Amino acid sequence: MELVLIQILNGLQYGLLIFLAASGLTLVFGILGIINLSHGSFYMLGAYLSLTLTSWFGDIFLALAAGIPIAFAFGAAIEWLFIRHLYNRDHLQQVLLTFGLILVFNELQRILWGTQPHSVPIPAYLSASIQLSDTLSYPVYRLAVGAICILLALAMMLVIQKTRIGQMIRAGESNREMVEALGIDTRILFRFVFAAGVALAAAAGIVAAPIESVYPGIGERVLIISFVVVVIGGIGSIKGALVGALLIGLADAFGKVFLPQLASVVVYALMAAVLVTRPAGLFGRA
Amino acid sequence: MVLAVLIALIAIALVLPFFVGTYGIKFTTRVMVIAILVVSLDFLIGVTGLVSFGHAMFLGLGAYTLYFISPKSEAVSALIAIPATIVAAAICAAAIGAIAVLARGFYFIMVTLAFGQMLFSLFHDTDVAGGSDGAYINVVPQFHIGDWLALDFGNRLNLYYFCLAALIASYLFLLWLTRSPVGRVLQGICHNEARVSALGFNTYNYKLLSFVVAGALGGLAGGLFASIDGYVTPDLFGWRESGLAIMMVVLGGTGTLYGPILGAVLFAILEELLRSPAMVGATIADHWLMALGFVLIGLVLVAPRGIAGLLERDRGGKPAAEPVEAKAPPARQPQPGKELATEELSRRFGGLVAVNGVTVGFQRNRVHGIIGPNGAGKTTLINLLSGVLPPTAGSIRLDGEEIAGQRDFLIARRGLGRSYQRTNILLPFTVGENCRLAAQARHPHPWRVSDAAYRQNEEAAVVNALQAAGLTARRHVRAAHLSHGEQRQLEIAMLIASGARLLILDEPLAGMGPEETARVVALLRDLAVDHTVILIEHDMDAIFAAADTLSVLVEGKLIAHGTPDEIRRDLAVRAAYLGQYGDSEKVPG
Repeated sequence: MELVLIQILNGLQYGLLIFLAASGLTLVFGILGIINLSHGSFYMLGAYLSLTLTSWFGDIFLALAAGIPIAFAFGAAIEWLFIRHLYNRDHLQQVLLTFGLILVFNELQRILWGTQPHSVPIPAYLSASIQLSDTLSYPVYRLAVGAICILLALAMMLVIQKTRIGQMIRAGESNREMVEALGIDTRILFRFVFAAGVALAAAAGIVAAPIESVYPGIGERVLIISFVVVVIGGIGSIKGALVGALLIGLADAFGKVFLPQLASVVVYALMAAVLVTRPAGLFGRA
Repeated sequence: MVLAVLIALIAIALVLPFFVGTYGIKFTTRVMVIAILVVSLDFLIGVTGLVSFGHAMFLGLGAYTLYFISPKSEAVSALIAIPATIVAAAICAAAIGAIAVLARGFYFIMVTLAFGQMLFSLFHDTDVAGGSDGAYINVVPQFHIGDWLALDFGNRLNLYYFCLAALIASYLFLLWLTRSPVGRVLQGICHNEARVSALGFNTYNYKLLSFVVAGALGGLAGGLFASIDGYVTPDLFGWRESGLAIMMVVLGGTGTLYGPILGAVLFAILEELLRSPAMVGATIADHWLMALGFVLIGLVLVAPRGIAGLLERDRGGKPAAEPVEAKAPPARQPQPGKELATEELSRRFGGLVAVNGVTVGFQRNRVHGIIGPNGAGKTTLINLLSGVLPPTAGSIRLDGEEIAGQRDFLIARRGLGRSYQRTNILLPFTVGENCRLAAQARHPHPWRVSDAAYRQNEEAAVVNALQAAGLTARRHVRAAHLSHGEQRQLEIAMLIASGARLLILDEPLAGMGPEETARVVALLRDLAVDHTVILIEHDMDAIFAAADTLSVLVEGKLIAHGTPDEIRRDLAVRAAYLGQYGDSEKVPG
């Protein structure tokens, strides 16, 4: 029973992290029409920013505060340099160019940070564990990660619901052609959305770094899992990304306990099941 | 030019082992094996239009199949090993494809990627075959005839020439398949799946077939790949391999089949070059993957059509071969068309009732017009009739048989063909090829490619359709180069060629000038000799002239049905519909 509770907490916390990464991916799909394979690299960027900035500032939250704007600017630059040439090109070319970006980012990572795994310290004031029952405790930092993810998700919702650019995003979510036809300057909108997606993925990488160690291939697993989330939730749907991410988080957490060797297969089986019953995802438009 | 390059390549490959050392032989063997994988991927991406980001999973499946069937200390017979890798990969491709092919576009890319990763984790995280460390195949396949060792994969030269033969055979097989009637359907799906489905092809089955064929050849490549080093590793399944394979396809030129082979060769040379400190300096050689990344990005931005794009112009990866023995067709005999009747047919979209209890009959061998103001539900009505949308309630009978709710391709096979409001043809195909694809839809056995009688029938159907639609002279023109009016005629020609006996046309006259309109009106009258025609049209003069009966639809309801004269006299119609034009001169009278 206690094991179940722990796994629910782990699953939700992991699911929220993936949601941050996947929400950027799904927005970029839904609004820019871009399939972005290099999205995992931005999670990796976050993890390494966490490593460097935490060692500079001495605290993970300062690293988060500084890292998000850096990642946002980085994303805007990548959009300007590469991604904007891909609008209205076919999927194949998008896949290829962003695959090329992965290779470049991976090597950049090797040059800047080397191939050794690193760990990022948990701040002292969060290093304790909460006693949930007599025999059960849970690390405070993991709970804090869940809380940060929820805060960031709420901030994102607020931007989408209350601001002008959010209004355009919502319009774009339901009908991309319409937004273009309305004469909205899509260049600004697209750059903002892409940069925001990068910032979200990086934020996830920053806060996750103290939980898992920081190592070279860290972004690739997140990329594939984010794809699975987007397939389950439906392309372009934030709500779908949330539901999909939590489902995947829980499936992964319980899979690890009950089918240790097949945990990752459980996740893909879940995707296959959704696909057979709802080919456009749970919240996707057919 | 292309042929010359290919013959030169084969010649070089034949003599190469005499000039390079063991490393060179092994290196080239690997390139040829990867080329098999890549050419099969091109069949999926370039011919069928399915962008798979998990094709390396078949490389892994073939390799592990060889591992599983190889005994510990003796060689498995090549005669068993090679078919086994192909069949095992084909079975897995059928199982995975059955799910993956449900997905389209973005989803297909992600789903294939996810399945590849699933297999990767399966072999990486479990203890099967050495887990993440991989495993050795101690003795690679051999083939004995009596006591004579005819083929030994452990012998570098044996394996080299076997892989060369396998590559040539794979290429020729895929080329043959692409140019066969099946391949024509696959190419049609690549360019316009909705049209192909509306002609009566079950596109799901064709896409699955393509996935299985590509997977089977990928398995062959995997078995051979594992024979080179006698070693299998989960990395073979990995998405990097899949990504690099896509890259080679694009580098060479998608949809050309030979291009990706050149792509594989070029990539291998590029890789050797970038990794060699002597050629590019230690810094680049150490980070050659970054250089590769930039090459990739540059490729997409500068030369998206690949090497093949340099070797040929405006061929678009489409074989142009087509028999040209056009004999004069017999005069068209009157034939019964199909009759169609609906009863209380309705379709709701949430709260909106787009079609509301329509009961109407369309007699055979007549031209029937459907008119009504914008938003009256006309297009929804014909979407219901042709199976694009399932009705909410009511029945549709085609020659007395209930068809309501059936899938569009099944209804098409019963002899109902439709055109779309926006012209819906295969632009890269020639006029003749468009019709040939349509003619093929009526034939139940697309596999029987060498059936002479069938080919003759097909040819007759094409000639007949082109003649009926007045496009005989334009047969070898690419559809993209036709005028707008001609494209609409071609769409009608395709329906005729498909053998449909009931044609449903959505605004066939839209955007046409007076001359073209007159020509198509005459065509519609002529079509009634052996078809039933139902059309939606906004050109009142033309439809009153062309139609035998008119049905007036307003707000989803049928408010009048009768001959043009009756409709003209119908005051209710004038008030509800024709009246909206305000200007009495516009009322045909």
